[in-house]
Amino acid sequence: MDSLGLGLFMRRESISKSLFMKNLILFLSLLGLSLNLKSQTIRVAIAANIQSVMKEIQTDFTKKNNIELELVSGASGNLANQIRNGAPFELFLSADLASPESLYKEGLCFNEVKIYARGSLIICSHSSQSLKTWKNRALTDSIKKIGLANPQIAPYGKAAMETLKKEGIYDKVKDKLIQGESISQVNTYITNGLVDLGFTAKSLVLDPNLKQNLYWEAINPKNYSPIDQGMVLIKTPSGKPSPGAQLFYKYLLSPSAKAIFKRYGYLVK
Amino acid sequence: MDLGPIWLTFKLASITTLLLLIIGLAIGYWLSKGHSFLKLMAEAVLTLPLFLPPSVLGFYLLIAFSPRNGLGKWILDHVHIQLVFSFEGLVLASIIYNLPFMIGPIKSGLRALSPSLSEASYTLGKSKWETFIRVLLPNAQGSIITGIVQTFAHTLGEFGVVLMIGGNIPGITRVASIAIYDSVENMDYNRANAYSLILFGITFIMVFLLYIFNQKNLKSPLE
Repeated sequence: MDSLGLGLFMRRESISKSLFMKNLILFLSLLGLSLNLKSQTIRVAIAANIQSVMKEIQTDFTKKNNIELELVSGASGNLANQIRNGAPFELFLSADLASPESLYKEGLCFNEVKIYARGSLIICSHSSQSLKTWKNRALTDSIKKIGLANPQIAPYGKAAMETLKKEGIYDKVKDKLIQGESISQVNTYITNGLVDLGFTAKSLVLDPNLKQNLYWEAINPKNYSPIDQGMVLIKTPSGKPSPGAQLFYKYLLSPSAKAIFKRYGYLVK
Repeated sequence: MDLGPIWLTFKLASITTLLLLIIGLAIGYWLSKGHSFLKLMAEAVLTLPLFLPPSVLGFYLLIAFSPRNGLGKWILDHVHIQLVFSFEGLVLASIIYNLPFMIGPIKSGLRALSPSLSEASYTLGKSKWETFIRVLLPNAQGSIITGIVQTFAHTLGEFGVVLMIGGNIPGITRVASIAIYDSVENMDYNRANAYSLILFGITFIMVFLLYIFNQKNLKSPLE
């Protein structure tokens, strides 16, 4: 019998195998060590349209209170769904009132919906043009693609849709419409010239970090229902809002937060 | 530059690969032994993640594990683990999603071994377990490593499932692929580029090392 051959083969292979396993285990344990635990922070779900203004708010709040914020942005409808399914947020700043209200009705919030800002819809383009007569322009052949956020889940998309219908041009331009998942996707379309025109929030063009010239025109607020943006404190397993979350909630209604929102084109009371 | 998403990706890939290796060896061994209707059935089910859109898997996992529904609530109440929007949930989803990538090569590798190998070992008085560990596994090493690397690399590239059941929570579910998506959404192309380059480099080095390693084993992962 070839017992010697089999034995030798077994030994050589098992040595390299065990060395491999040892290295794997070493690698995994080093990996575990390098993952340091983060200190306690407040996790806030924010609507995509307030991304840029929230960066400034975050800096100001953290400087004043020494509390870190973790901002996760997305389409309001998506964020509400995530919260409904157990996503661990302490505060939800929506782009509308309907999403936080439905969460409140389902008993997932500590308090009723509070409006923190009212948004303004604009029409915007990356190429130099006057958009005062955007309605006529949208009908011409030079405009091939018009971006807007998904009206089902993004309030600015809904406002854009209302505007098109109110102006009576929806049927004529509906084949030109390109839907983004959230307002930030529409912003990507606009700034990269992927669409000729796009409906977005005024905060895009008032963002001081924006490094390019955009051409825009405010949409008449009579053409769409007001984009009141509401916030709620989300119920956590502890049974009451954390002191940090309460502090941030109060801060968002303070004059300093309102001043920042104002600078980005939001209306505040 | 926040390297958190990169570390998180590696943590997820490592844990997934390690757990799936154990599961894969057990199931792969079972599948490699003989044929039966049950095994065919099992193999078909285990291969599904290869063809199903990740959103299908993500959607059903979301429904199953949401704390609003029966199963998810039961797990949360009794095991105290929430499987949506949590790291544990991502590990579970990754394991399911990667089943064919680990089990496939292991099963083929074990099946390709000549039966005389284990028979010789039994004749020499070795138990089934010892034969499996010391004869079959070392001889199927190439396939096992292929399974490991495929699972690891595939987890690095996971996106749809993570987005559905993990969302985009820093330090918990924001893995590199999600961080790239988030950066693009935020119009932060520098950050998206940095993450993409890191992921590109690491994946290339891994695959390249695998080729060097497998050179002498006469087995390429593409075979």
